[in-house]
Formats: sequence, C-alpha cells, structure tokens
Amino acid sequence: MSPLASHHSGRNPVKDQVAVVGVGSTGFSRSSDRTALANACDAAIAAIRDAGLTAADIDGIVMPGEPGGPGPNVVASALGLPRVTHFSRPAPVAMFAFTDAVNAVFSGACENVVVVYPYMRLPWASRQAANDPFRRHLVTGMAAAPESIANAAGYAAWASRYLAEYDVSRDAFARIAVNMRTNAMRNPLAAITTPLTFDDYYAARMIREPLCMLDMDLPVDGADAFVLTTADRAKALPHRPVLVHATTVGLVTPNDEDQLPGLDHHGQHVVIDALRAKSDFWIDGLDVFCPYDGFTVITAGWIENVGWCGPGEAGRFLAEHWDDASNRVLVNGRVQVNPHGGSLSEGATRGSGHIREAVVQLRGEAGDRQTPGAKTALAVTGGFFFNSQGATFRVD
Amino acid sequence: MTPSELSDGALVEAYAPLVVDRDTADFYRGWLAHELRASHCTACGHDFLPPRPVCPKCWSTAVDSVAVSGRGTIFLLILLHQGPPAPGVDYGAGPYPVATVELAERRGLRFTSTVVDADPATLAVGQAVELAWIERNGVAFPAFRVIEPGAVAE
Repeated sequence: MSPLASHHSGRNPVKDQVAVVGVGSTGFSRSSDRTALANACDAAIAAIRDAGLTAADIDGIVMPGEPGGPGPNVVASALGLPRVTHFSRPAPVAMFAFTDAVNAVFSGACENVVVVYPYMRLPWASRQAANDPFRRHLVTGMAAAPESIANAAGYAAWASRYLAEYDVSRDAFARIAVNMRTNAMRNPLAAITTPLTFDDYYAARMIREPLCMLDMDLPVDGADAFVLTTADRAKALPHRPVLVHATTVGLVTPNDEDQLPGLDHHGQHVVIDALRAKSDFWIDGLDVFCPYDGFTVITAGWIENVGWCGPGEAGRFLAEHWDDASNRVLVNGRVQVNPHGGSLSEGATRGSGHIREAVVQLRGEAGDRQTPGAKTALAVTGGFFFNSQGATFRVD
Repeated sequence: MTPSELSDGALVEAYAPLVVDRDTADFYRGWLAHELRASHCTACGHDFLPPRPVCPKCWSTAVDSVAVSGRGTIFLLILLHQGPPAPGVDYGAGPYPVATVELAERRGLRFTSTVVDADPATLAVGQAVELAWIERNGVAFPAFRVIEPGAVAE
C-alpha cells in the first residue's frame, strides 16, 4: 500500500504563505430581485476595495461552477479586469475554489486573486423564484427519478443511518438548527433572524424524512468574495492579514451516495486526517469553529469527526455544551459554532459564509458576535460524498 | 418483447430520466429480464455497483455482469414527503419510501429503489427485503418488498 493510502505526511509548503486581505459580501436574501452577476460584481468590488487594491491589481479570478451563475471570464469582463493570468471554475462548495486560489497565488500563476461566490435561488428552490420571469432561463433539463439518493437526498438517507446505527434521537439535529438561528440573529448579513425554538423544530414539515424543512439550508440570493495575495505583500495592505494555514479536500472510494463505505469512513475522515497533519494547531484552544451545515447531519458528522466527541455523540455533546441563557452552543463555555448562523440561517452559501466568518473573526471585526482575541480558526465545509473540505486559518 | 429485441434507442427512452449509456445498457436490459445485475470483474471476481467499465480493485476492463439475488437488508431509508414526479408516485397519498438495500452478496454492495406493499410508518433500517418487480412507463422496474414486516435484522 502506498503512503498516500494511509495517512497524510503533513507536507504543506504553502503554510502561512498566502493571506486573505479583502472580504466583501452582499448579505443574503430570500426575496431579492438582483441577478447572480450583479451580486458577484458587488461582492468582488467590495472585497477588492477592502484590500486597498484596484482592478489593475487583480490578475486572478476564481469562481465556483454554481448552477445559473456567471463564469469567471464574464465577471472579469464585467469588472474590467485588464489582464488576468489565472482564472478557473472549480466545482461548487467553497473550498474547491478557495484552495485553487491559494495555490494559484503560491505557485505564481497570479499575484492577487479574487474568489467570487454568487448564489441565486433557482426556480425549483422557492415559490418566489419560480414566479420570477427573469429566472425562467434557469430551468434545467429532466428531473431525477424519486428512487435515488443522489445529491441532496443522500443526506436524508445517511441521516436515517445515523439515527439507527447510533440509536439516537433527532436532538443533535434540533440543537444544530436552533444554534444556527440564534447565531444568525447577531449577523446583519443573515437571511433569517427570527428566533427558533425546539418546539418549532419538531413541528416543522418533513421533506425527506427523517430530515425536515429546518434540517436543510436556506436557498438565497447573494454573494461573497475574497481577495488573496502573498503573506509578504499582505503586510503592506490595510487589514490584518488572515493567513491560510492549511487547506484540503477529501474523497474516499466508493463515494457514490448509496455505496459510501459508512459513517466511519467518508470524505470528512480524509479531510480531518490531512488537515490535522498539515496544521500546527487543532481543536485544543481553537477560537473559531465553522462546520458546514447544508444539512444538520453534516454538522453532526463534522463535530464528531474533528474530535469534539465520539461517533454518534454530537447530541450529547451539544446538550452538555448548550448555553441555556443564550439558547445556543458554546463549546467549553467559549467557542461559538458558526457564529454567523451558517447555511441553515444566514443562507445557503455552500461554505463561503463559513470561510468569511473565520476571516472576519480573525480580523476582530465580527461586531457583537466577536470572539475576543481570536487567533485560530477551523472551517470544515461540504458533506460526506464528493465535496468534503477544510481549512485552518491564523493571524499573527 | 425480450430484452435483446428492444432497440438501444427504445431502451434509453423507456428508462429516462435514468441515464442509459454504453456502460449501463446491460444493467438496464437486466431489468427487462427481471434480473438485478451487478458489474462483475472476470479477472478478480469483484462485484460492484453502479455499473462501470473498469474494475476498481484490479483495473481489469474484462467486466461483465452477474445477476444478484436482490435479497438484503435496508441500510438507508428516506420517506419522501415531496419529490420528483414519476408515474404511480403520489406524494399526496402518503410519504414515498426510498431504501438503499445492502445486498446479501457482499457487504457494501447496495442498490436503491422504493419499497412496495408497505405502510411507510412500519419501515426501518435493518429490515430484511427481497426484490419485487413493478412496471413503469411500460417496462420492468426493480423495487423491494419487506420479507418479514416489523422484523429488524440488526
């Protein structure tokens, strides 16, 4: 067996060599009348200005291949970027594009890169979107057959396995949903800020049982953008540079939703192994924890797999670390879990919101949800199958 | 009509929106013959799903197919309260079950379909099932049926 098949070596020459120096976000909405292109441009311009740079400084642009979203060439043209030496369109879910941008700066493919993540509600995702004539061109091909757990249904299917294999209730899922909503109430960018109770969770309509409406992320319009450059150049720019300490993605075989080896062997485990090996810090003393919550069961998986507790113990862990006074989880009375409200309540950013929150917290700019003195952050994005990913960030 | 008589074009049409291509046509022709088939590596003997042209264990391309029993246990289970439209599927009449079944032939070899003749409320991970063929769009479609209602195998 080759060394690659067992554990990551920890080799990580890019460690702390690339920095996030600009952040921009439109905020998120379930009723916006703006296009993905308009939101992409707004967020990108905000991020480039935040970095103290101009169009002429940006020679790299990376954007995920979001359904219905514009490509990086279109946004480069819309923004008038005069000369680009790296552009790419990785798969959706944030860390694919983010990692590509980090590597592009590190390798010299470009000097200053903007990563832009626009999201647009597709007509099937909401009634308001379905009734919007300007979204009709976004209707895509044939529907899937019901007898499949491909894509989103896969998480409901594995949620059933989680509940059966560990013989636990939906309490972990409920706590995850309530925590995100409580946190979103402190985030001016969030799409939903009305309080959520446990009774609300248990009363919510089942969609793909055992997952209900409140186990699923919230389709939104909006965009995030980041500017990255070398750690050296970052020192001369206006904001405290947030160093990208390590990034990775993770994939096992088979990774088809219904053939995945098991709850103890999927993409998250590869991510954790590689990210721990590459990083000088882990969860002991961690300041900011942003686990993906496209579906609640994914978050339960991340909480367990990063090592906060054992397999199937997320519910017990969240109950033990629940802060009744603020109606959310505070690990060891201190560490917030997705202070921004995550995909469940800020909006379905497919992970760019989790990266943004890590960056904003490490810059010390998170307002009344700021973790005092935050120096380290762990953002783990994506799910179990073919988009598990993660990154560690730090500031000096 | 026998499976071999149906043209490639008719096969593709009959099973849309499932994707029938040169790597999966034999798998779907199996359905016409009421056989659930797995890809079978003639070099190392590994059976796998979904159907693919290369053995993931030994990289042999000498892959044909073998009929599996269709017996197994429910490994994953969803009750769809809403979902994609399909002939004979009425979400208004009650949630529609979708089960991933771990087949008896090998641990980890799984196939996903619905479960027929069952009160969705009684279905559970761990129940023993067998194949049950239903018809959709005029062609055979594999499904499962619980062998012992209420029995949980694990």
